Amino acid sequence: MPAISVQDLSKRFGSVLAVDGINFSVEPGEVVGFLGPNGAGKTTTMRMLTGYLPPSNGSVQIAGHDTFSDGLAARKAIGYLPETPPLHPEMSVSGYLRYVAAIKGMPRAARKPAVSRAIARCGLADVAGRVISTLSKGYRQRIGLAQAIVHDPPVLVLDEPSVGLDPIQIREIRGLIEELTAPLGAPSSARESGVDRQTVILSTHILSEVEAICDRVILIDRGVVALDESLASLTAGGRRLEEVFSQVIAGDRPPAGAAS
Amino acid sequence: MKGVLPVATRELQSFFVSPVAYVVLTLWSILAGSFFLSSLLGFLASQEQTRQLAAVGHVSQTNLSDGLVLPFIGAMWIVMLFLLPAVTMGLFASEKSNGTEELLLTSPLTGWDIVLGKFCAGAAFAAIMIAIVAFFPALLFAYGDPEIGKIASGLLALFLVSLAYVSVGAFASSLTRNQLIAFMITLVTLLVLGMLMPFIVDAGALGGSGEPGAVASAARWVATGHHAERLLTGLVDTSDVAYFAIITTAFLVLTKTAVESVRWR
Repeated sequence: MPAISVQDLSKRFGSVLAVDGINFSVEPGEVVGFLGPNGAGKTTTMRMLTGYLPPSNGSVQIAGHDTFSDGLAARKAIGYLPETPPLHPEMSVSGYLRYVAAIKGMPRAARKPAVSRAIARCGLADVAGRVISTLSKGYRQRIGLAQAIVHDPPVLVLDEPSVGLDPIQIREIRGLIEELTAPLGAPSSARESGVDRQTVILSTHILSEVEAICDRVILIDRGVVALDESLASLTAGGRRLEEVFSQVIAGDRPPAGAAS
Repeated sequence: MKGVLPVATRELQSFFVSPVAYVVLTLWSILAGSFFLSSLLGFLASQEQTRQLAAVGHVSQTNLSDGLVLPFIGAMWIVMLFLLPAVTMGLFASEKSNGTEELLLTSPLTGWDIVLGKFCAGAAFAAIMIAIVAFFPALLFAYGDPEIGKIASGLLALFLVSLAYVSVGAFASSLTRNQLIAFMITLVTLLVLGMLMPFIVDAGALGGSGEPGAVASAARWVATGHHAERLLTGLVDTSDVAYFAIITTAFLVLTKTAVESVRWR
C-alpha cells in the first residue's frame, strides 16, 4: 500500500486552476523532493495532502485512508510543517509540544516520552522551558519540525522547511531531516511504529538539499507534474539537477514571443 | 470528543498569559464592587424610607434579595455584555492570525472537538467571572439572612446568559482573523439580540394597527433581555432555560459550520 496516493488532483480558486489533475504515489520510506517555481501549486498540493484544503477534483489517500471520506485517520497519519510554523507564541516549547501530542490523538501516557524524544531529536533541549515568542527563527523552524514528528506519523509533509534560515541553520535542519529518514540503525531506533523509515515529501528551492536527502524528485510547473523520476536516474552521467530543471521548465514553456 | 479537553485547556491557559484576561477580571471586580456598594446604599435608603412610612402606619416591606442582590446581578449582566466579547474575540481569530489554524485543522480533531473545546474554555472563564460576582452576596450571609434560592437562581441566570454570549462570541470570532472585528460583531449582535430587537420591531409595527403583532411578540421571545429579566427575578422557568439552551446550541452549530467551511471551501 503506498504511503501517499494522489489521483487526478485538481484545485481551482475562482477562475484560476492552481493544480491541474496531478497523479503520483509515494511508497513507504521514500523521501520525495517536491520542486517547482513559485506559484506552481506546491503549497496548494501539500495543503490538499494534509486535508487542510479540499480538492476541487480527484482524491488523496494517506496510508490507505481517503482524506475526504476517512479524514480523521488520514490526518492522524500525517505530520505537517506548513510554510509558516504553526506556533502559539505565548506557550513554552514543551507545553506547546505536549498540546500538539494531545490534539494528534496520542494516549496520555505516551505523550511525555514522545515530547522529550521530539525535543531531543530537534535539538531543543536547551530551550524546552522557554516561551516560543522569545526564540529565534531557526529555533521556531525546529519547533515546527518537532510538532510535525511528535506523534511519530508514518507520513511527513514539510513545506519549505529551510526557508528564511541562514546557511548553518539550513544545514542543521537538513541533518535533522536526514536523521529522521535514515534507515533504522543505532539509538534512534526506539520507535514504536512498525514503519522502518518515515515517508517524507518536502518542498524546497534548494537543489543541493534535494541531492543530499531525496530519493526521488517530483517537479510541478503551472499545476501539472512536469517530471517524476528517481534522483539516481536524473543525475546519471554526472548531470546537475539545476541543468535538468531549467531544461524541463524552459522546454515546458512556449517561447516568450510565441504566446499570444 | 477526546480532543475537547486539550483544546479547552490550551485556550484557557492562553487567556491567562494575555493581558486581556487580567484587564477583564480587574474591570469586572472593580465594577462588581462599585455596583454592589451602590445597590447596598440604595437598599439602605429604601429601608430608611420604609421605616418612616411604617411610622405613619403604612405597611411595606423590603428584603435583601429583591432590594439588593437581584438589582446587583442585573447590573452585572449589562457589564458582562460589554466585557465577555473581549474574552471570546480571540477564540478563533487568533488561531487564524497566528497561522495555527492550519495545525488545528490538519490534526485528527472533529469540528465539534474544536468548537466545544473553545466554548468550554470561554464558559470556564465566564464561571470565574460569576464566582467573583457571587462573592459579594455571600458577604450578606455574615450580616443578614438573604434568601439563598433567589440568589442562586440569579447567579444561574447570569451563567446561562454568559454561556449564550460565549457562543455568540465564538461564532463572531470564527468569521474573521481580526480580533477587533470579532469584538464589534459580538457586541452589536448581543446588543441587538439582548435589548434592541423588541424596540426595533415595535417601532416598525407602529404604523400598523398598534397592537403587537405576531412578529413583535416573536421578536420579544427572541430577545435575550426578556428571558434574563424573568430569571433574574428568581423565577426559574423551563421556557427561559430552554431559550438559553437553544441560543447557545444554535450559535455553536453556526460556529462549527464556519470552522469547517475553511476545510471545505
